[in-house]
Amino acid sequence: MRTTWAICAKDLRLYLTTWTSYILLAAFALISAFFFQRLVIEFQYASMQAMQQENGGEGLNLTDWVMSPLLMNMTVFLLFLLPVLTMRLLSEEKRGKTLDLLMTTPIRASEIVLGKYAAGVVMMLLMLATTLLFPALLSHFGASADGPALDWYSVGSGYLGLALLGSAFVSIGLLCSSFSASQIVAVASSFAMLLMLYVIGLAARGQEGLWLKALEFMAINTHLEPFIRGIVRSVDLCYFASLTGVGLILTHRVVEAQRWQ
Amino acid sequence: MIEVEGLTKLYRDRVAIKDVSFNVARGKIVAFLGPNGAGKSTTLKILSGYMPATSGRARICGYDVFEQPMQVKRRIGYLPETPPVYPDLTVREYLLFVGRLKGLHGAALRREVSRCAARVHIADMQERLIANLSKGYVQRTGLAQALLGNPEVLILDEPTVGLDPRQIGEVRQLIVELAAEHTIILSTHILSEVTATCCEHVVIINQGRIVANDSLAGLVQRSRRPGAEQTDSLETIFLSLTEA
Repeated sequence: MRTTWAICAKDLRLYLTTWTSYILLAAFALISAFFFQRLVIEFQYASMQAMQQENGGEGLNLTDWVMSPLLMNMTVFLLFLLPVLTMRLLSEEKRGKTLDLLMTTPIRASEIVLGKYAAGVVMMLLMLATTLLFPALLSHFGASADGPALDWYSVGSGYLGLALLGSAFVSIGLLCSSFSASQIVAVASSFAMLLMLYVIGLAARGQEGLWLKALEFMAINTHLEPFIRGIVRSVDLCYFASLTGVGLILTHRVVEAQRWQ
Repeated sequence: MIEVEGLTKLYRDRVAIKDVSFNVARGKIVAFLGPNGAGKSTTLKILSGYMPATSGRARICGYDVFEQPMQVKRRIGYLPETPPVYPDLTVREYLLFVGRLKGLHGAALRREVSRCAARVHIADMQERLIANLSKGYVQRTGLAQALLGNPEVLILDEPTVGLDPRQIGEVRQLIVELAAEHTIILSTHILSEVTATCCEHVVIINQGRIVANDSLAGLVQRSRRPGAEQTDSLETIFLSLTEA
């Protein structure tokens, strides 16, 4: 446990003293801010139109019009940015020969993998945390006599869903980072894998029966949407947990196999 | 202290080492000598528990390297060919990290780091980033890392490679000092290293096989040709033993 924490702390230290992580944090916050601003303008436009119609404004609220689409879009930003965040985790240790050090000190491969994973997850959560400003702004300026501006339950479950999705992405990125000493290989393979998980839902279109069900089940969005609508289902929790678990177990196998090469 | 028996390692079908056997007694310093690519690093990697051998046995402090790797890893300090350092950490941060991996913590950890840094004369370098250190200081940082936790056995893979003459002298001096407290096995392809570090015992390996395993004096004695007036230098012995 202590050694897992030592590895996690070391990697966080490296993350927080290099440029890449700050560029990623800034990029994530900026792109999200851009989308946030577009969505708020759209909402403003829609509510002005609604005021001119009688009985308009039904279902017009900041949660469904701004926060939900914003959170859905953040999946794509994570898809692009997380592979860059995770690419150095293990491949840098291989390139710098420091993996030899980790492998010859009295620690288990599982401790290496978990420590690295934890560091990646903390950085991913930091990225998500920068966007908490947006719901905070909405609830501060959007509240009226009719009640609070946001349905905090839906926003909360949406963030939970994104955090779970991010953890799964980190575990897949970590796996790709274990393949070789090249960070390019890591970033390319993890991006390819994540993109596959993202677009697999498109392949479901036009399919029927079991195929449709199977492809839809594998797609990431199928499992993220309920969270964003405020529904926490055990099947979705299991989906993200298994994705994370498979990534971590395979990474552990690759690190162990290192000895046998 | 170190017992190696019939160690063989194949990389797919290429033979890296074949049937390597030798023993090192407690408190001894042994030089592992051989031309480049002879299998020195491979043997040391197996001893450090980094990778398993294809066949054969190796025991350190009575523990089997393959069956009780954790016990072995707690008792060795290993300096690989390339010092395994993180350029973006300071020397102190790095040593604290390795100390934690070796199970040290709290005040004991900080004391141990200071002790090892002082031992290799980098006490005043501790706040420097490793990226900004010269090669000699990086090598010492690597050595300090191996010393953490005061292991009984030190495995040093070419500890002086790539250093300038002054630094080589300093590192050798350091190894001689360390020999008082540790059992040391060091690999090298520089012959003068053997005499300079007072290695009592020499194992010469060539193309994966052991060609000599003797004390320095014994080696010189054995290779003396009848009728020759002078004894051969270690270099002559080495060259004749490693002829392909």
